Amino acid sequence: MAKVGAPAADGSFRRSRRSPGGLLRGLLRGLLRGLLRWVGILPYFVFIAIFLIIPVLATFWSSLHEGGKLSMGSLAKLWEPQYRNAFETSISLSLLTAIVGGVLGLLLAWALATTTRPRWLKSIVQSFSAVASQSGGVALAFAFIAAIGTQGVVTGLIEQATGWNLTSAVNILSFFGLAIVYLYFQIPLMAILMVPTLEGVKSEWGEAAASLGASRWQYLRQIALPIMMPSIAGALLLLFANSFSAYATAYALTGGSVNLVPVLVGFFISGNVLTDTSFASALVTGMIIITIIAMAVRALLMRRSTRWLQ
Amino acid sequence: MATMTAGEKSPDWQQAARIAIFVFAMVLYLTPLVSAALFGFTLPGKGFTLESLLPTLSEPEFWPAVLQTLELAVLTSLSSLALLIPTLIWLHLRSPRLLAVADGLSLIPFVVPAIALVTGANLFFRAVAPSFLVSVYSLVPFYVVLTLPLVFRALDAGIRVIDVKTLMDAASSLGAGTIRAIIQVILPNLRTAILNAALLSSTYVIGEYVLSSLLLHTTFPVVIEETGQTYPRAAAALSFVAIMGTWLLMLLLSILTRGKQIRLMSVGAGNLAADAR
Repeated sequence: MAKVGAPAADGSFRRSRRSPGGLLRGLLRGLLRGLLRWVGILPYFVFIAIFLIIPVLATFWSSLHEGGKLSMGSLAKLWEPQYRNAFETSISLSLLTAIVGGVLGLLLAWALATTTRPRWLKSIVQSFSAVASQSGGVALAFAFIAAIGTQGVVTGLIEQATGWNLTSAVNILSFFGLAIVYLYFQIPLMAILMVPTLEGVKSEWGEAAASLGASRWQYLRQIALPIMMPSIAGALLLLFANSFSAYATAYALTGGSVNLVPVLVGFFISGNVLTDTSFASALVTGMIIITIIAMAVRALLMRRSTRWLQ
Repeated sequence: MATMTAGEKSPDWQQAARIAIFVFAMVLYLTPLVSAALFGFTLPGKGFTLESLLPTLSEPEFWPAVLQTLELAVLTSLSSLALLIPTLIWLHLRSPRLLAVADGLSLIPFVVPAIALVTGANLFFRAVAPSFLVSVYSLVPFYVVLTLPLVFRALDAGIRVIDVKTLMDAASSLGAGTIRAIIQVILPNLRTAILNAALLSSTYVIGEYVLSSLLLHTTFPVVIEETGQTYPRAAAALSFVAIMGTWLLMLLLSILTRGKQIRLMSVGAGNLAADAR
């Protein structure tokens, strides 16, 4: 019985020490101080909420509702062949350009990181790589049509010289044509991402391995690559996300003849196909989920890679 | 001496391979650009000419679209600066712990492709404020959001270098009020970071196609795309001008951020471009 009364006694003890008014005032002061700390970040937070978070949440919400009712119908529709095909095409285009761009970009990064002699050449290539890695969009699409399209300059030169028509092998308006255009920014992007990592590989490690009798190949396979692996994988994921979300280049180049998710979403928004907002939202939700997975895995990998390569 | 030995040790075939890779890379980078110039500014049997551009230049919507794009670039830069500079200064002075929160928020656009944001914007604003998206200026806040990961980092890096707290204390000990200290002491010290941020915003806005085309606003890239439907040579010429313009802006940027460039690029690389694509 005494125990049951204990909390009450404890409560009354506290009350006797501090008046309820004082407690309230202290709480308010703390709250005010906390609020004041948040005041400065408030405009920023409200801005991001209105123009980013709420629109994205609205998309999620809409993908889960059909005709005002909670439903998985729209998301389930993503598995229908023509839409699943769009995801498959987008993912294979992104995988292809990430892997090919990754390998070639790594080579370029190696050349940039290890070159000492013609400094001017190195700095020119580095600047151009930085700029090309950020290029893209409508202008790049038309530049490539001017180069390797049916009437393109390069196509013409090759035909004049050899009589062979380039477009019979690579149609710029097809999946592989698109892949070539994407590689234009994927290769330099990989190089720019990897140069700091390759520069972080210390030559002492190679010397230490050699002094222990390791061959160059053994050093590369057992020491250099394992150390660089997290940052290589992280860069590849960024390349993947980069190509997965590209819309303007694909649309300007193929006008929708290649079935890609971003282009499909564009058709829904511009009302060219139909105006099923719930389904368009489901497509976007699928895109965001895939991008989040890629970037989250990248963030985890980057945390691991910074241990050695600082 | 160290570089000498490194140079001596690397075999000749490696040096040859490096040069070959550089040449290949430069050919890759320059081919589309040179092709666009040749295709756009020459005609068979005529040599250099501006003739293929004429139908586009006489289009009534052309010059307004160019002006509108430049206007959007300026407005986006100014809005970013107006939103972020006071926020960042406040955070650095009053609540450094919240910096991590603000930083985390600025990274969200990384996982939201432009095509996703435009879907959400369409959905939300058509329901809440139907007339908002009609104005071309409604693009500005979305551009601010999409360039946030880069612009936030550019400004934050600038503020970290100058030690705002000491500068503010020094200014106030000399009798300056907070506003005056910010305008006369902090901002001049942030010149490079501010210019940097403005260049990043402008580069992005000048090439932006996804939002403007899908929200039905006629900007420069939209005009290029529409031109390309009927006049491929004019579109190539305009593309050449657009690419050269952005490349010059970016070279300026890389000169400004010499040294910091690689870090800034690898943090944000891809994001800026992916959204413009």
